[in-house]
Amino acid sequence: MTMSEEKFLEVSNVFKAYGEGDSRQEVLRGMDFTVTKGEFCVLLGPSGSGKSTLLNIIGGIDSADEGYIAIGGDKLRDMDEKALTQYRRKHLGYVFQLYNLIPNLTVKENIEVGAYLSDKALDIDELLKTLGLYEHRHKLPNQLSGGQQQRTSIGRAIIKNPDILLCDEPTGALDYNTSKEILKLIEDVNQKYGNTVIMVTHNEAIQHMADHTIKLRDGKVRKSIINENKISATELDW
Amino acid sequence: MINPLFKRVPKNIKKDWKKYLILCLLLLLTISLVSAMYVGNNSMERTFADCYADYNIEDGHFELKDEPTDFLKGKIEDEGIKLYPQFYKDFDEDKEPFGDADGTIRVFEIRKDVNLAAVKEGKMPTGNDEIAIDFRHAGNIGIKVGDTIMVGDSKMTVTGLVSFSDYSTLYKKNTDTMFDAITFDIACVTPECFEKLDADTVWQYAYQYNDRPETDEEKKTLADDLIPKVAVLAATGGYLDDEDAAKELADNVDIWKAYLEDVQDKADELEERGDELQERAAKLEAEGKELKELMLKGEDVQSKAADLQKRGDALKEEGDALQAEADALKALQPTIDEYVDNLEALEPYEDNITELTDFVPEYACQAIHFAPNDMGSDKAMCEVLLIVFVVVLAFIFAITASNTITSEAKVIGTLRASGYTRGELLRHYVSVPIMLTIISALLGNLIGYTVLKNVVIFIYSRSYSLPPIKTYWDADAFIRTTVFPVVTVIIINVVTVAIRLRISPLKFLRGDLSLRKNKKAVRLPKFKFFTRFRLRILGQNIPGYLVLFAGIFFVMVLLIFSVGMPYTLDKYMSKADTFAIADYQVILKTTEDDDGNRITTDTATAEEFSMDSLSTVSGVRVGEEITVYGYSDGSKIFDLPYDLPKGKVYISADYADKFGIDTGDEIELKAKFAKDAYRFEVAGIHEVFGSLSIMMPNDSFNEVFGNEKGSFSGFISNKEIKDIDDKYIGAVITRFDLMAMARQLSYSMGGIMDIFSYFCAAMAILIIYLLTKIIIENNAGSISMVKVLGYKPGEIGSLYVLLTTIVVVISTAAAAALSYYFVAWLWRYIMYGMAGWFKFEMDFLPILKCVVMVLVAYTIVALIDLRRIRRIPLTEALKNVE
Repeated sequence: MTMSEEKFLEVSNVFKAYGEGDSRQEVLRGMDFTVTKGEFCVLLGPSGSGKSTLLNIIGGIDSADEGYIAIGGDKLRDMDEKALTQYRRKHLGYVFQLYNLIPNLTVKENIEVGAYLSDKALDIDELLKTLGLYEHRHKLPNQLSGGQQQRTSIGRAIIKNPDILLCDEPTGALDYNTSKEILKLIEDVNQKYGNTVIMVTHNEAIQHMADHTIKLRDGKVRKSIINENKISATELDW
Repeated sequence: MINPLFKRVPKNIKKDWKKYLILCLLLLLTISLVSAMYVGNNSMERTFADCYADYNIEDGHFELKDEPTDFLKGKIEDEGIKLYPQFYKDFDEDKEPFGDADGTIRVFEIRKDVNLAAVKEGKMPTGNDEIAIDFRHAGNIGIKVGDTIMVGDSKMTVTGLVSFSDYSTLYKKNTDTMFDAITFDIACVTPECFEKLDADTVWQYAYQYNDRPETDEEKKTLADDLIPKVAVLAATGGYLDDEDAAKELADNVDIWKAYLEDVQDKADELEERGDELQERAAKLEAEGKELKELMLKGEDVQSKAADLQKRGDALKEEGDALQAEADALKALQPTIDEYVDNLEALEPYEDNITELTDFVPEYACQAIHFAPNDMGSDKAMCEVLLIVFVVVLAFIFAITASNTITSEAKVIGTLRASGYTRGELLRHYVSVPIMLTIISALLGNLIGYTVLKNVVIFIYSRSYSLPPIKTYWDADAFIRTTVFPVVTVIIINVVTVAIRLRISPLKFLRGDLSLRKNKKAVRLPKFKFFTRFRLRILGQNIPGYLVLFAGIFFVMVLLIFSVGMPYTLDKYMSKADTFAIADYQVILKTTEDDDGNRITTDTATAEEFSMDSLSTVSGVRVGEEITVYGYSDGSKIFDLPYDLPKGKVYISADYADKFGIDTGDEIELKAKFAKDAYRFEVAGIHEVFGSLSIMMPNDSFNEVFGNEKGSFSGFISNKEIKDIDDKYIGAVITRFDLMAMARQLSYSMGGIMDIFSYFCAAMAILIIYLLTKIIIENNAGSISMVKVLGYKPGEIGSLYVLLTTIVVVISTAAAAALSYYFVAWLWRYIMYGMAGWFKFEMDFLPILKCVVMVLVAYTIVALIDLRRIRRIPLTEALKNVE
């Protein structure tokens, strides 16, 4: 393992607060950890632990007050708005809890929205089949179930074959079975395409399928666990 | 790869097709109308410009009191021009069924050299009882080819309808306030027929310069030089060897003649008195001899001798006085000799002397220029409306895009988080308005160039006698009606959307689209909850309501104009009884009858007055004709003081209003056909309307214009003057003549304005519908939420629709007031470019009519809005953006 592989994502002493004066709230209080390339990393913590804020800072859509985040050695704080956009464009895929699909584009077109951003995009039909959406590719989002919509949103994120897939509570709005399907899909994607996955969740069961679990509380890393005996998503239970 | 977001464009249009259809229709309608106005106008202007070559239009024309001799014509042509006789005769015109005259017809011979006519229907006359008349006038009063009309006492058949290149606008006189295509007609007949028609001939000559000028400045310089020369040549019968001497002659010939006559009278009187003194001296001498004889006879003659001596002394005194007067007369001899010499110089020209009665250079000829100039001013008005309307529509597009951004905030956040740049999203969100504007503009131009252009030409042909119009491609029109709307929509939408997209991806994801940091809620007074709720809704929708106000203002401007214009014209005509100086102004050809007696009238209220006209040299319109009145002492019609110092004048209220003149100001005017300048001080503003005039005591008038004391021009009266022989009458100006402007405008624009006002009401419905729809859509989530909370439809309506109603009512009232002042300003601006003056007037009731029209339009929209609110689903508040 090389150094760059060792420290593909470096989170170093990151502080973040919102508000001013009496209403000031410190969300991140010196966050430190690293993630290696291709790792499936879960950020686990209760509500208010700062996991979504951290994900946003990693995604370059929010910034740290102190400390830095580096991807492959490049520090985000040194990037201007344009460079950050390019960074997101080249390296990141985003999956949200509420899918955020474009309502009047079909499944395939929504995924094309992601493909447009990359010159090394995956084959869309193959991906649709991988996602189990091939038969639904001409449907609009409102004709799909929650699970299908989330699969579409995952498809949109990974079609450009990003280095990092950021998932913000991707199963938060889904039922048990559908959640497991989605988790399996993310697992498959991680294995098939080798993307680094960083998933924010408050579901403790999910840590068992991850390579690396970082437990957060009150804006700090409480535990960083390398999972030597991870299980498949299909085996999860909660 | 093409940005897949663009695949949304047709879907977005389809989803909101009603809104976009209305926007496109409004754009299409406006652009096609303005495009048609531009293309129609420019084609007409180009055609008019081509007329100079196609129909060989004059460089000017003038009229002489008598038929000029060949010598005089030659002398005039020596000034570098070629003359073309263009004699005419004016008659009463009457169409079937015959009865009272319908108007005046001016008959010319068929033109062969200059100012040619185009036959639009039928053919030129060939027989003695055939006539071709003006196409526009015929259309206005319903004369067709083959109809019979009375021309004076002659019955004639109309063989053709023509348009004269020098009468595209039917001005009876160039100094008339307005053209009159209803009661004034132009016609042509064969030379034989012209000869046969019995009426006074007006000796009009058209002229063209041998070396024709190209620019207006050159034309003006040449005309300024030519006018006084022709005037002098006419007055001196062609004497122009020494220009200064000739001018002096022309100016003084009457004065010198009168002076020499006075001197001759005086000399005759002195001779008479000398003869009488000699007779009396002879008689005294005889009496002295008798007395001497009696004295020699020794009679007492002392008392008789004393009497004789006394009478002798008296006779001597009278003789001395006579001698003194004779000496004084003799002292005048050098002046007399000079005058006599001067007049002798004129003697060879005596038979050629006449008088220049009218002179109209082509560039100042309203009959030629009014129509093309009017087209220019209409284009300017259309341009203003296009700018306002395109800006309003561009803002509607921008607000629509802005609302879409609000509703798609999380999608945008996701896309931005995924790496989409602001530029890519910006291009996406402005693509619909830009694409629709381009399509509307292209289609609008297509319709404008084809169908509507002909409508515009038809509208103008209701007023003007147009030559056959050719269509010309117009790059300027394309830029204004296509490039300008597209660029405006691009700028306004790009700026609006770019500002909206400045928000960070995170804020989009959180649905927080506020641009301001630490935005705090404004504390509201302790109103009722619903009132505060409405104020909050108002605060959230300020941009939408501002555009709603702009839309209502725009519609109101159009409505006020369309309702106000006919109202102003009607008002103007209905006030005719009160505002003109008098009902009748009779201008005499001569103030002495054939027996040398001063012409009088027994008509009650008739007063002697003088009249002349000068023109303005500065102010809002140079060359505007100002009528100069001289009123008699004790005039009840003018009702102005007579002891006004020379140089001080009263001016009419319209003159003061148009040129912004006040009491105490100095005004400068010039003679129409000479360079003589006149300066007056304004003593006061006389509340007479309907004319631009200045008034002064008649004595001052005569002194200013160098007339003999006691001179006058005619009679002014509020009753018809019937006891003056027609042969002495030069012209009669009635209130009817003053109404020509309003009558013509009312005819040509009145009907269109009625239709236009209903078009505006329909436009009000569309614009208000569109804008309130946008506001409701923007609040769909909130409306849905209050539904979920259990608010009844009535309560929701009272929150949203009532608020919009209040905004619409206040906006309509404010827009009505603002629009009135805006249109009144616009009207003044338009009138500055026209001869004459009348103000835009609207009372409360017609303004209220406009307000009611907008509110009725809104009521229809409000009902649709209530239905729309009822149809907002409860799930709207809870759903994800899908």
